[in-house]
Amino acid sequence: MDPRNTTDPDQDLPWLRSAAVVTRRIPHLVLAWSLDEPGRLGETVPVDRELCLGRGDPRPDDPAPRARLHHMRPGSLIARPPIAGARISRVQLLLEPRGEDAVRVRSLGRAVVRINGRPIVDEVAAIHDVVEIHNAALFVVVSRPRELPTTAWARFDFPFAGADPYGIVGESEAAWRLRAACAFAASTDRHTLLLGESGVGKELAARAIHGLSAVRDRPLVARNAATMPETLIDAELFGNVRNYPNPGMPERPGLIGEADRSTLFLDEIGDLPEACQVHLLRVLDDRGEYQRLGEARPSRSSFRLIAATNRPMDALKYDFLARFTHRIPLPGLVERREDIPLVLAELLRRAAARHPGLAARFFERRAGVLAEPRLAPDLVVRLLRHSFTHHVRELERLVWLALGTAESSYIGLTPAVEAELAAAAEADGLAAAAPATLDRDALVRALAEHGRSPTRTARALGLKNRFVLLRLLKKHGLSAATDGEES
Amino acid sequence: MAPDVRLLRDTLELTLAADDSFPARFYQRLFADHPSVAPLFHRNSTGAQHKMFAQKLVALVDHLDDPGWLERELAGLAASHAGYGVTAEMYPWVGGALVATLREACGPAWTEAAEQAWLEAYDRLTRAIIAAPRPQ
Repeated sequence: MDPRNTTDPDQDLPWLRSAAVVTRRIPHLVLAWSLDEPGRLGETVPVDRELCLGRGDPRPDDPAPRARLHHMRPGSLIARPPIAGARISRVQLLLEPRGEDAVRVRSLGRAVVRINGRPIVDEVAAIHDVVEIHNAALFVVVSRPRELPTTAWARFDFPFAGADPYGIVGESEAAWRLRAACAFAASTDRHTLLLGESGVGKELAARAIHGLSAVRDRPLVARNAATMPETLIDAELFGNVRNYPNPGMPERPGLIGEADRSTLFLDEIGDLPEACQVHLLRVLDDRGEYQRLGEARPSRSSFRLIAATNRPMDALKYDFLARFTHRIPLPGLVERREDIPLVLAELLRRAAARHPGLAARFFERRAGVLAEPRLAPDLVVRLLRHSFTHHVRELERLVWLALGTAESSYIGLTPAVEAELAAAAEADGLAAAAPATLDRDALVRALAEHGRSPTRTARALGLKNRFVLLRLLKKHGLSAATDGEES
Repeated sequence: MAPDVRLLRDTLELTLAADDSFPARFYQRLFADHPSVAPLFHRNSTGAQHKMFAQKLVALVDHLDDPGWLERELAGLAASHAGYGVTAEMYPWVGGALVATLREACGPAWTEAAEQAWLEAYDRLTRAIIAAPRPQ
């Protein structure tokens, strides 16, 4: 029966009809790795009833209707060709939905089937579990609606599972929700605040908003607020007239003047002192009035501010925060686990494009052309189960560690990568068991005393390593300097 | 008589599930017995070649009872083989290596009937490839 059919008469109301489709969630199996069909990552099997999954076309003796992989994007669900993996039996799995986020998996084929690395015959796979058909394919279990709603995002002119025109990679519901929020913000001229942990892609979102906006033909003015010396912040933002404050100073328009009729992107806005936040209040109002240093008459700039911070919203001054009409939370990798293989593939593609030696060693070639990376499934399984704290930046580091420590032509789970992942997993446990005295205030004080360096702060607090500190900070909505910023 | 398609599929699935290195061992055997064919496989990396071989073999066995698909596919194979420099005398070399590698991978599950089915199916497919019109 079509689950959209309902006996509830209220769901025939036009404003509830679409909600019935997009809010009813079902489990999906999303392809995360495939030996024979690496170009199909991100395709999904909606498990809305009992289905059999296997190689090839439906057969008369199939024990249930055949599962199909789909390209799922807002407003479309496109069935893809049958699975062609040589090592997948013609009837390999029998899938049965269990609620909205679990699937009963029965192994009927010849290939060994595992859930989270453990061989199974008949088990229930829960959300984020990894279902593996030995040496053939990996699927991650997620919960999604039957269809993704259509949104303000209208650019679908990029390959499925690839980077969109602004560099955002992902086909998950969370990735599409982010794109929708960016597109809606772009359709207006209101100031926008991007919220998310370090490494979630705040700058990409800012570029997407600018790129989709009416001022996309004008240059985006981008600056990291944390890198502005405190005494020069006003001059940087508002500019100055010639010879002010010192003789010989050239005239400068400031970032706000530069961004007139365009977009100003200020990253790390949470690092802007409260006094400077106050200085911005007037220019963020509708008229965009501001004064360059040393100038009596006001100037005007018609700009949109996109600000980003990895701190909680309450770290910003209330009236400053109130100027941001749109507040867009950016999902971390753990909120869109099914995108991890896609981001991984994109990172590897970029690495291969820049480093021919890596391409020659770690990538297949078909008819002389660079094809898929030689990626071992054990690495993908571990990454799918990892709790990332620095998201894409952390994934990128792990990719380079895997490349740098590989002993063969396969990118796999080397001892170095295993150790890094294990240290992070151990840190999760240690952070959960941290003494109650290490509360938010104590962490803020310790960070300030040690220049926000995670390594030095962790040592001073007697924590085992910086990973434990980073997880504690995450728990309290705080952040330290990233590795590159440590002094 | 048509080959026993179910037996072919069963033995191939068994081989691929039991032996991750089946394609590699097939090529090792082929190149050891007939070194002159090795230079024909230079367009793809080894891993890509192994994947393509396993996929193509499975697809052919899956479609043995689909004459329309087979006709199209075998015509395409004939054209590409001609482009690579494959000659008619090479087909029995490949068949010999294929059946020997399957026999080894299946172990005790390999039967006289399986051997016969594979030899018949391979002979039928290669005769169709050789007979297919080739680009001038």
